[in-house]
Amino acid sequence: MTQDEMTDTNDGTDPTANAAADTPDPSGDPLVDQSIDVEGTSTTEQTSGTARTVLESRNLDVYYDDVQALNDVSLAIPAKQVTAMIGPSGCGKSTFLRCINRMNDLIDSARVDGELRFEGKDVYDDDVDPVALRRRIGMVFQHPNPFPKSIYDNVAYGLRVQNQTENMDEKVERALKHAALWDEVKDQLDKSALDLSGGQQQRLCIARAIAVDPEVILMDEPASALDPIATSKIEDLIDDLAEDYTVVIVTHNMQQAARISDKTAVFLTGGELVEFDDTNKIFENPENQRVEDYITGKFG
Amino acid sequence: MATQDGLETSREGDQQVSRMRGRIFEAMCLAATAIGLVAVGILLLYVTADAIRPFSADPGWHLVFFATLVVPSTGFGLYLYARDGNAGKVAYTALGLGLIGVLLAGALVILFVEIFPYGEWFALSIALAILGAVTVVHRRYRRHAETERTGLLIVTLLVTVFGIPPGAIAELLGLPFYIPSVRGLIASSPVLPLDWIMLVPSLVLPVAAAAGWFVRGRRESNRAGLVTAGAVIVGSVLGVGLGPVVGVGVEGWMLIVLSTAVPLGLYVESVLRRDEGRLGLLFPVVLVGGTLLGAVLTRTLGFAGPDPWLDWGFLTSATSTTPADAGIYPVMVGSIMLLIVIVLTTFPVGVGAAIYLEEYAPSSGLMGRLVTLIEINIGNLAGVPSVVYGLLGLALFVRFFQMPTGSVIVGGLAVGLLILPIIIISAQEAIRSVPDSMREASYGMGATRWQTVRNVVLPEALPGILTGTILAFGRAIGETAPLLMIGMAASVRVPPNGFFSRSGAMPRQIFQWARQFDPAFLNGVLPAGVVTLVFVLLVMNGTAIIIRNRYQRGS
Repeated sequence: MTQDEMTDTNDGTDPTANAAADTPDPSGDPLVDQSIDVEGTSTTEQTSGTARTVLESRNLDVYYDDVQALNDVSLAIPAKQVTAMIGPSGCGKSTFLRCINRMNDLIDSARVDGELRFEGKDVYDDDVDPVALRRRIGMVFQHPNPFPKSIYDNVAYGLRVQNQTENMDEKVERALKHAALWDEVKDQLDKSALDLSGGQQQRLCIARAIAVDPEVILMDEPASALDPIATSKIEDLIDDLAEDYTVVIVTHNMQQAARISDKTAVFLTGGELVEFDDTNKIFENPENQRVEDYITGKFG
Repeated sequence: MATQDGLETSREGDQQVSRMRGRIFEAMCLAATAIGLVAVGILLLYVTADAIRPFSADPGWHLVFFATLVVPSTGFGLYLYARDGNAGKVAYTALGLGLIGVLLAGALVILFVEIFPYGEWFALSIALAILGAVTVVHRRYRRHAETERTGLLIVTLLVTVFGIPPGAIAELLGLPFYIPSVRGLIASSPVLPLDWIMLVPSLVLPVAAAAGWFVRGRRESNRAGLVTAGAVIVGSVLGVGLGPVVGVGVEGWMLIVLSTAVPLGLYVESVLRRDEGRLGLLFPVVLVGGTLLGAVLTRTLGFAGPDPWLDWGFLTSATSTTPADAGIYPVMVGSIMLLIVIVLTTFPVGVGAAIYLEEYAPSSGLMGRLVTLIEINIGNLAGVPSVVYGLLGLALFVRFFQMPTGSVIVGGLAVGLLILPIIIISAQEAIRSVPDSMREASYGMGATRWQTVRNVVLPEALPGILTGTILAFGRAIGETAPLLMIGMAASVRVPPNGFFSRSGAMPRQIFQWARQFDPAFLNGVLPAGVVTLVFVLLVMNGTAIIIRNRYQRGS
């Protein structure tokens, strides 16, 4: 109930009370304070200090068999902003992303401890249906992975499996427009999606994810397999998407994180979240020496 | 300078040594390939020569056909090959379509005459039409009640096809009364229309509608669709007058039109419309025309043709004690019925098992180890000798379930057990080759496991599954040892009249001919049987290859 009220008031004029009520972050109190400090420098109209928390992890540990992939991760992801996760390979950032919509359930050896709350509800509670969860949290993968079906059927896939078949043409068109792909494909909707270029395929995957109107979009290095032009298109798109959706993006590319994100989480080896703060703060004046070393390229 | 030279020469020397080794290795591999191919090739040539006996013809006959058939078709083929690749493709596609169409017509005639009478088919198609109508109406009024629709479909299916309680069960349990099925009602009616009259609504009209719909979509014109559908109907009904004159009967004419002329016509239409390689369409014309011309010429000039063992009489008569009268027809029907049993039982079971093992079965923990153990043993089962499967069939189906010895159903089940592991393994491979990113994409959209399997995994894996299964069916049709063990008939004079009746099979009959003392059997009838069986296998494998190629082009 309270969640709905918060959603309603989110764009309102007085969200600070909500934010204060909603982010009693046990681990990150200093982080929140600092983020309010640098509020003035943030470029987006809605600053991190005032945003409502959508996703929150507390002391999250993930193991693959005996290997620990995430170690005691606690962070709070604000609504309708872009949150980037950066860090060297194998640091657990993708694992964290895949925990959010329980894609790790598909890996038999994965085991999750701790809390991960989406809209206040622990997604690993027994009564949470991962299928229903994934309908609210969409995902875009590293390599464009359209189905070998027509462009139309790709975008309509989520609508069909979720049984939202009313006004399908309209929804498909809206999703493709939102993903900035409509003008390129509007005359060839019945062509195979595999005939598109890599960048177009990735935008198609984004269209596919937003067609069902999720609340959160997870992106796992969405531009790493693309050329610079396609990458810049995807980055522009992510910027637009943040107006309507909460975006969580994993990236290897620190410049990309600096360009597109409002908040940045730095994971370092061992699955440890070392610092989580406003992007400007992380890149200009990080608290942690190891983070500074990583960002300045001294290691990683 | 000097040292550098020295280095270079020594490096060259190294390269020469390794090149030499490579060449020897390559030659040995080539030899290994050749040994197998040449051995099988020579055997097949030898057997074919025995079956066809080309040298029993006049030299003049060979000369005439060389001039009318071989020279023009080879020349035209080479011209197409050199000039126009598209036309070459059109040529062999058109030829292949025609050939497969004629074979299909033959199989359909056998099916209708021996196994599934026209009346049964007519009744079944009416039952299915009722089922379809119920679905359409229900979908219109209660679109989202999918569970209700499924239930309704099952009930309708029971009523229309099986009756309540299902006829076979009612007979088995000796129930005194039951609601007869629509199919039962029609099939048991004392007066049935002529065979071809039943064929028109149950087969001609649906095919005509499908062809018309297809052309309408392609040409984007209602008129073209109507013309096509009309042409199919007229072409089929022409058989009422022409069929008996040509000698294939009305039903034979209709089936040939539907299975050969319709696909060929659609293909010609598409070639003409796309205007690519039109010239290739002439190739089958050259072949058929050359054959006809040759036949007319040899007859007028009085050249005698060869007297093959493998001829129309061989294909259409039963085996006999006199080699000249011996034929393969009843056992061919037996083999087709065996194949029907094998397909119906092993395909759902094998593919179902493969889907479970790949998509549902746990992969870690204690259960995961158990699954791994099961998978390894499925691999082992694929290597168990076929005689053992025959023994298993004998013990299980004949002794334990008391099914009749040597019947089609027992033979089919025993051979089915034999190829089941092969089908499971090949289907598993096909399912495993679907990239995980597809599954993740589907799950990430909030699809359930069932939706993912149905919408993403199965469509992607189906061509691979079909290829593997068809190859396995090819293996099944040539299996002999299990048939010997379960007591399939060595020689039968009439085709089996049901799945529970005793029957022969092609490989079993060939084995029987091989035990005769009469050299005419050994050198004539036996090769003819072998060529027939091998031809069936080649057609099946060819189909599998076509499916695989289409699939590879698609992705």
